[in-house]
Amino acid sequence: MTVSLKVNGQPRAVPAEADTPLLYVLRNDLALNGAKFGCGLAQCGACTVLLDGRAVRSCVTEIGSIGEAEITTVEGLGTIDKPHPLQQAFIDEQAAQCGYCINGMIMTAKDLLDRNSHPTAAEVREALAQNLCRCGTHGRIIRAVLRAAQNTRRT
Amino acid sequence: MTGTAVNLTRRQFGQAAGALVLAFTLAPRSAVAQAPKLPGSLNNNRMLDAWLRINADGSAIIFTGKVELGQGISTALAQSAAEELDLPLPQVKMVSGDTAQTPDEGHTSGSQSIEYGGTAVRLACAEARSLLVDQAAKRLGVPADALKVSDGVITAPDGRKLGYGELAAELDLDREVTPTATPKPPAQHTIVGRPVPRRDIPAKVTGGAAYVQDIRLPRMVHGRVVRPPRYGARLDNLDKAPIRAMPGVIAVVSDGSFLGVIAEREEQAIKAREALIRAAKWSSGLELPDPARLHEQLMSWPTQSSVVSEKQGGWLRQRRKPSRRPIPDPISRMPRLARPARSPHSRTAG
Repeated sequence: MTVSLKVNGQPRAVPAEADTPLLYVLRNDLALNGAKFGCGLAQCGACTVLLDGRAVRSCVTEIGSIGEAEITTVEGLGTIDKPHPLQQAFIDEQAAQCGYCINGMIMTAKDLLDRNSHPTAAEVREALAQNLCRCGTHGRIIRAVLRAAQNTRRT
Repeated sequence: MTGTAVNLTRRQFGQAAGALVLAFTLAPRSAVAQAPKLPGSLNNNRMLDAWLRINADGSAIIFTGKVELGQGISTALAQSAAEELDLPLPQVKMVSGDTAQTPDEGHTSGSQSIEYGGTAVRLACAEARSLLVDQAAKRLGVPADALKVSDGVITAPDGRKLGYGELAAELDLDREVTPTATPKPPAQHTIVGRPVPRRDIPAKVTGGAAYVQDIRLPRMVHGRVVRPPRYGARLDNLDKAPIRAMPGVIAVVSDGSFLGVIAEREEQAIKAREALIRAAKWSSGLELPDPARLHEQLMSWPTQSSVVSEKQGGWLRQRRKPSRRPIPDPISRMPRLARPARSPHSRTAG
């Protein structure tokens, strides 16, 4: 069957069953690398995308349940030449080692900053607590989110 | 890999692989056997053109068998190359871990990439720089040691200049590395040892291709492996037919006790794998020790001991005298933790 989705502002039709997790459609059908398969169980956060602005785990979000909701992936925030302030802040803080968790960190932080543009370090830690990083980049990640908040406020 | 997705047909892949034969030469095996030992990864990849190329625009391409895992090796090796070649860092491009183009340096592990791969890049680039200077000396008719090199431009005492790009066409890198050229002493380093932004991070924060999982081939299909429930367990019997009939399933693969499935779509392979797990019957295999008694079990197993370091008196005794503080129990216990990568293992075959 075919399911219609709205991804990064574009209408897309994908040849998949309604119970297919969004992650596989994003990666395999739409060739979007941003969301990553980490655990497949909504426990690690590597697959995080936004559904109408709220962070969700795409590895357990069935495409049939999405309806008209707008899907935003990390590719929808900015590009390598024109990065979003969050992406730029992660580059400036060099906030990635292997980088596999970073998509989830950025997308979860986007949700946070859209609701709370002045988070404290404790609020950032709390918001990202369910996103697992195995390299130990946590300190830099928190600094990157705070930096992005600061930069966005200034402009 | 750089920021673009890999998109090769099998035919294109074959063509690329065919071109590589011309790109660098491999030393004949007999020559390797008799040749003197070279430092680091040079020993098994002895030709200069296996390591670098100078382009007509004066920039350099460095080939490395060590791959970027987020440890920053692509950036660090570029720094080493720029340092020895006297090139600005942005003029050094890296080609990494492409079996069609790069030297075989084995694994990327054990914190050995700088020691082995870095040594090779440093020496190869030092030698290439010295060849460039020799060539410039001939062209300009002045002694090599009278020439100055800066940012890929060689300058004679009278002010005449030659860029690396002008020398590239005549530069013969189809030769074995002879480590007569010496790398710079660390005191002269201006690029190595200084922090520079990692080259791999921009793609990793914008959804660029950065991982094996990001490789997509035309008409690619997806596979999943079913692991046995115990180490060494034997696959007894399995009715493949119902799983073979599931949507999208192309093949159920079993070979001895190896079991896997191939399907058109990834989610179909995952569903078929779940069905295989339910259907497969296994026997024998190693029973794992009770986690609660793991430490006792470990102590009862046969061991092989080796001394890591030995000092006269030992550190325990040295500390006891001056401090008189009680020494903590030198045996500490922690739970057995797996140390897997954040990303699941993945392979792509063309």
